[in-house]
Amino acid sequence: MSQLQRLLRTTAFRAALLYACVFSLLSALGLGFIYWSTASYVEGQVDARLRLETEVLLNLYQRQSLPALLESIHRRTQEDQQRIYFYALWGPDSRALAGQLSAWPSGLDAQRTYATLHLNDVIKVHDSHKNDLVRVLVTDLPEGYRLLVGRDLHEEQAMLAHTFSITLSVVGVIFLLAMGGSMVFGQASLRRIDTVNRTAGDIIAGDLSQRIPLSGRDNEFDELGRKLNEMLNRIEQLMAGMRQVTDNVAHDLRKPLNRLRNRLEVTLLEARHEDEYRGVLEQSIQDADELLKTFNALLSIAQAEAGMKRNDWGKVDLRELVEDLADLYGAVAEDKGIQFEWHAPEDTALRLYGNRHLLAQAIGNLLDNAVKYTPDGGHIEFSAQAEHSIIRVIVADSGPGIPAADRNRVLQRFVRLDSARSQPGNGLGLSLVSAVAKLHKARLELADNQPGLRVILCFDKAV
Amino acid sequence: MLPGRDGLSIIKTLREANIVTPVLVLSALGEVDDRVQGLTAGGDDYLVKPFAFSELLARLQALARRVHPEQQRTFLKVADLELDCLKRKVTRGGQKILLQPREFRLLEYLMRHEGQVVTRTMLLENVWDYHFDPQTNVIDVHISRLRGKIDKDFAKPLLHTVRGAGYSLYEA
Repeated sequence: MSQLQRLLRTTAFRAALLYACVFSLLSALGLGFIYWSTASYVEGQVDARLRLETEVLLNLYQRQSLPALLESIHRRTQEDQQRIYFYALWGPDSRALAGQLSAWPSGLDAQRTYATLHLNDVIKVHDSHKNDLVRVLVTDLPEGYRLLVGRDLHEEQAMLAHTFSITLSVVGVIFLLAMGGSMVFGQASLRRIDTVNRTAGDIIAGDLSQRIPLSGRDNEFDELGRKLNEMLNRIEQLMAGMRQVTDNVAHDLRKPLNRLRNRLEVTLLEARHEDEYRGVLEQSIQDADELLKTFNALLSIAQAEAGMKRNDWGKVDLRELVEDLADLYGAVAEDKGIQFEWHAPEDTALRLYGNRHLLAQAIGNLLDNAVKYTPDGGHIEFSAQAEHSIIRVIVADSGPGIPAADRNRVLQRFVRLDSARSQPGNGLGLSLVSAVAKLHKARLELADNQPGLRVILCFDKAV
Repeated sequence: MLPGRDGLSIIKTLREANIVTPVLVLSALGEVDDRVQGLTAGGDDYLVKPFAFSELLARLQALARRVHPEQQRTFLKVADLELDCLKRKVTRGGQKILLQPREFRLLEYLMRHEGQVVTRTMLLENVWDYHFDPQTNVIDVHISRLRGKIDKDFAKPLLHTVRGAGYSLYEA
């Protein structure tokens, strides 16, 4: 598509063109009206002169009788070298008594009639003026005489023609200027759109770092560009996050799969006792189960992050949940020689709208961690409390805790602190807690329990 | 997804025709919602794909036994271990055993599935009503506590660990 064709299709050009047409039409109407009123003013002036001339002649006739009139007509005709005025007097017997007229113009018989005729109809002329117009006033005199006074409209016509051509050229110039303006306008908007298009093309081609350049004029295009750039930033962020997750998944699952594969390979190297095979197989199943667990955890996080399936949400009594989970994990803690205390008051304020299973899994993960990282003889405190519209679920342990600098990092998928490497785990537990917290619009705080970690899930029912 | 028809409508049709053959729903849809739908349609159990074979086997055995309407049984007995659901009383060899409420439910579930393998997931689902994988083996701890109460002081152990699968309660 050529540049001109594109220009002609732009909305800006079309709108400007429409305005140009409307504006030209309006100015044509306005100037046309001026032309028309000028023409009628000129005609009125001519008619007034004819009337005046007729009055003078009529006066002459009434006061001094016919010969004086004839004399006057004759004299006037003689004096009028340029042949601007015409006079004629007819007798009752339709005989021409005076004037230049060769014959009575047809269609003129009413009393006091104005008419516009062709010069040629009035007198015989053989020059270029024969198509000029003549304005005549016919007056019937008493006793059957008839007087005609005419005026050549040559000058007036020339003036009107001049006015008309000026009007026409002004309308033309206005139209051309408006057209030109709309072209410039369309071109300017096209240029701005083109920069957006170019950027989009680059991004489609794979360069996500491209941004729409802003003109700095702070106009609507800049506003659009800024919003689009913001959107692109967000997309780039999400893409980077996703790429990181995918990389992490690949990296973290490769290790256990390799281990599994190598064990099987080594086992096959030489003949072994059946019990040994059985042992390796059982261990392999366990490894596979661990891998499946990782995948399940990833799926749970994805599900919690997507925030879909609101129809399995309902009223959750956190007191009941805390009691259940305390029962489930308290035994594990006590088995490890950890002092486990839980507390949740019987309080309707501890009820909230949420997904019971996801909440149980998230809080379960926190308890899992607490039990895993708290040394023998340590203690874990598990509680839920409501204060105004805010519900806090707290899991506090006396383990090694998490250094302040790492507290945000551990919420990412697969992040495991070096100090935790000796413990089994996949680095997904806190990611799930974080996702579930976000899904429930809760705040997740990791704090120092001095010593140990204090995790606070803060639900604000007012939000 | 079955070709042409969905499984749930088939179960509904079966149930409307008064066919009580136990049905285990195997589905890729693992949401709680989907489970509830499967069970209300008339399914007896619901297992999410992909699953471990030991899990499937244990659940099938559990279903095969359930054909006899033993849900109403309020008095359970395995060897000399007796459980009275109404009086909430457990004895072994005539000796009274004190159990926490949750331990009682755990034992009741195991006794109702006497001789079958019961997986950890089944226990978490049926005794605690949770559908998730705990990272640590919380169930093992509860089992060992229960074992300490019902088996420790007696010659013949009743609660057995099935390696790689779960647990089973039976008289060897």
